[in-house]
Amino acid sequence: MDSLYLLIPIALVFVALGIKLLLWAIDDGQYDDLDKEAWRILADEDVAEPDARAEPPEAPAGKKP
Amino acid sequence: MQRSSEADAASAAAETCYHCGETVPAGTDFYIDIAGQSRPMCCPGCRAVAGLIAANGLESFYQRRTAYNEQPPDHQTGNHDRYIIYDDAELAATFCETDAGGTVTARLLLGGMTCAACTWLIEQTLSKSAGVIRASVNLQQSRLDIEFDPRELRLSEIFSRVDDLGYQPRPFQASTQHRQMQDEYRTDLRRLGVAGFGMMQVGMFAIALHAGDIQGIEARYQGLLRGFSLLVASFVVLYSARPFFTTAWRHLRRGVLVMDLPVALAIGLAWLASAWATVTGTGQVYFDSVVMFTFFLLLGRFLERRVRQRHALTWFNAENTLPDAVTIRRDNRWETVPRMQLEKGHRVLVRAGETIPADAEIIEGASAVREDTFNGEHLPRAVTCGDTVYAGTVNVESALETHVLGSYRDSRLAALQRSVEIAQTEKPRLARLADRIASWFVGGILLVTAATALVWSQVEPERAFWITLSVLVISCPCALALATPAALTSAASALRRSGVIVRGENALEALARATHMIFDKTGTLTEGTLCIAEIDRLGAPLQEDLLALGAALQHYSTHPVAKAFSDIDGASGFERVKYHVGAGLEGCREGRLYRMGSESFCRQLAPDLPPRPETEFYWIALCREGEALAWIGLTDSLRREASTVVDGFRRAGLQVELLTGDSSPQALALARTLQIERVERGAQPQQKMAHVRDLQAAGHVVGMVGDGLNDAPVLSLADASFAVAGATDLARTQADFVIIGGDLEAITGTWAKSRQCRRVILQNFAWALGYNTCAIPLAAMGYIPPWAAAIGMSLSSLLVVLNSLRLNRPPRT
Repeated sequence: MDSLYLLIPIALVFVALGIKLLLWAIDDGQYDDLDKEAWRILADEDVAEPDARAEPPEAPAGKKP
Repeated sequence: MQRSSEADAASAAAETCYHCGETVPAGTDFYIDIAGQSRPMCCPGCRAVAGLIAANGLESFYQRRTAYNEQPPDHQTGNHDRYIIYDDAELAATFCETDAGGTVTARLLLGGMTCAACTWLIEQTLSKSAGVIRASVNLQQSRLDIEFDPRELRLSEIFSRVDDLGYQPRPFQASTQHRQMQDEYRTDLRRLGVAGFGMMQVGMFAIALHAGDIQGIEARYQGLLRGFSLLVASFVVLYSARPFFTTAWRHLRRGVLVMDLPVALAIGLAWLASAWATVTGTGQVYFDSVVMFTFFLLLGRFLERRVRQRHALTWFNAENTLPDAVTIRRDNRWETVPRMQLEKGHRVLVRAGETIPADAEIIEGASAVREDTFNGEHLPRAVTCGDTVYAGTVNVESALETHVLGSYRDSRLAALQRSVEIAQTEKPRLARLADRIASWFVGGILLVTAATALVWSQVEPERAFWITLSVLVISCPCALALATPAALTSAASALRRSGVIVRGENALEALARATHMIFDKTGTLTEGTLCIAEIDRLGAPLQEDLLALGAALQHYSTHPVAKAFSDIDGASGFERVKYHVGAGLEGCREGRLYRMGSESFCRQLAPDLPPRPETEFYWIALCREGEALAWIGLTDSLRREASTVVDGFRRAGLQVELLTGDSSPQALALARTLQIERVERGAQPQQKMAHVRDLQAAGHVVGMVGDGLNDAPVLSLADASFAVAGATDLARTQADFVIIGGDLEAITGTWAKSRQCRRVILQNFAWALGYNTCAIPLAAMGYIPPWAAAIGMSLSSLLVVLNSLRLNRPPRT
């Protein structure tokens, strides 16, 4: 049980490191737009799809009158 | 009754625009193929945007999005000339940065962003363009940061491309207010993060300590665990929980008891006592409760604030409505310069359809200007040489040459902006339910605590301190403090999904208590465009022929009246059609002269024209040489759901009023149709404010619904305000609720939700107080160990959160 005297301070060093990292990420603006990032992580793999496919160039306006 | 309204809803749903969700107007036929399916569109604007999206292979946008797009403003589609001004280096420098390598980073504010998929659409489209190095859209701020190579791509092209997608780009000028908002957001997040880490760490120590309480633990290990808990908890209390202490203290100094006071007391005293116990090695520690409490409260507030700040375009002001480019006379020729360079005395050319850039006097030309900025009306005022026109109004008919009277600061528009700012500071701060309850809750707790301390100090002095403390911790107002933010956040996100953005701080609470509901007329209760209401035939021709004749003439005009005729096929054969400013139209057909317009103008041609009918419409006459043909009555038609909404409020016992800038008798007619008793017409923005101020002074809680720039000050002043679909940006920034869809019934839905929200908040309070009444006596008798106090507190908070989540369903309408 005496190992606690060493292990707890080590754990605290990791916590301090974690907090430091988080604060850095916040100041870096990585959390500024939570809505978009939450959504983008799901969208990313599909993004390539429309690009990869051969795009039939089409006139922008609708064809039907 | 029920069934028919459902059937209506179903048929309406079948005809909504695939792009913007508006009902497709009858008689139009815009379709477009998207991902192999033919989709209905409501207008050419939507069709152009959807077509572009489909053509770029980005159809999946429609599957990704979670909200309908906004309808692109019709007057702008395809007109990109107005963006050319941004290629001017001086103007561009105000929102761009150029780095050493020659690449430029521009920051644009985007109007019309509705969901996360919009960011994807814009980023995808732009990053495919040649010359774009990086494009990134921030949804929360509706901001586009784009890095591009100016040698390959001009800034105006970026503007045009964004415009093509149906969003309205503007240069982004960071204001201090905006920077402050971002700083606050980051600070909140930092505090929350630190509290989260602290909670996990202290929680681990706490499990060991609680296990030790039950199984037995050596004193030195207990001391060790407590010591480290103290270290971490102190950091959390000093850093994360600081706002509770400062707010409580700030209000206490003014003699006000707020919710933050019991919070600060519980955190502060529990920490102090635990620290004492740690140092002396006696008693109990409550570090886990302290940090968990801090974390949950910060989380509740963070979520509440985040919901509120979404789409908060608070840095938008009236000046943004003015054009960035103006045409001025310099060295005997017309030159386009940025508006920033405009000075008093400049000679400015304002073409038909353009916004007047400054308060100015007309020196040449005659036209009509639409002054909805100031009176909310779409019918223009006729102006001629010597008249003054105002910045922010729109020149409708023909080009004007004007002489600038002063800078923007002196303009009537700037005065409007200033009254908005004044209104913001005047807005009554209704005491929050939580704070009102807090004031007597705190009093009660302090009394009970004092009584406990007194009794135990007589009975068993050595236990008195610890029991008194456990009373304070068990009364821990966590559930009480969470009751409001949890309910508000939940209600706001439900409203968001049904197309209403909640922006105001106390708006939901205020709305639930509203006693008066005030509506603006044009554009709010009415559609804001004229349509034909009645035709009074005077001559031989049939009604259809009259309409065809009228339409043929009106197709030559840009006056708002012409819009009423735009759906009608005009009769052929008109030639030499001439527009007489301020009078009407004149044209020749089959050798006969026709006129359409004002009474006197037509009477010149047909002296037998009878006086206009009595009915309260906007009447225009149609005649040909020697023969009066018809009086055509136009009206701004009522929105389909307007009467249901007004009825709903009246039945619920609210006083409904009509407050309009329109001075015509039409306002009275409309009030009669809707059975609104109190009408105030011809009201300028300042008069509207005075009216609301009077009501508030009499102790009423005022709800306000409006759309125009002229409504912005009063929207800002009212206790709970709505900006309806199609509202101007300034009105949106001042309203507490912004309705995205075109449906007025969202107002009733929001109101119902606000009442429900209030009920849930009251339930939450009832629970939290009930829990306290049961738990405090037990604690006062010394029966509750600290671990039970911690569990009780968490469960109580959880129940409050779960109850609040019930609000997270779309509103019943």
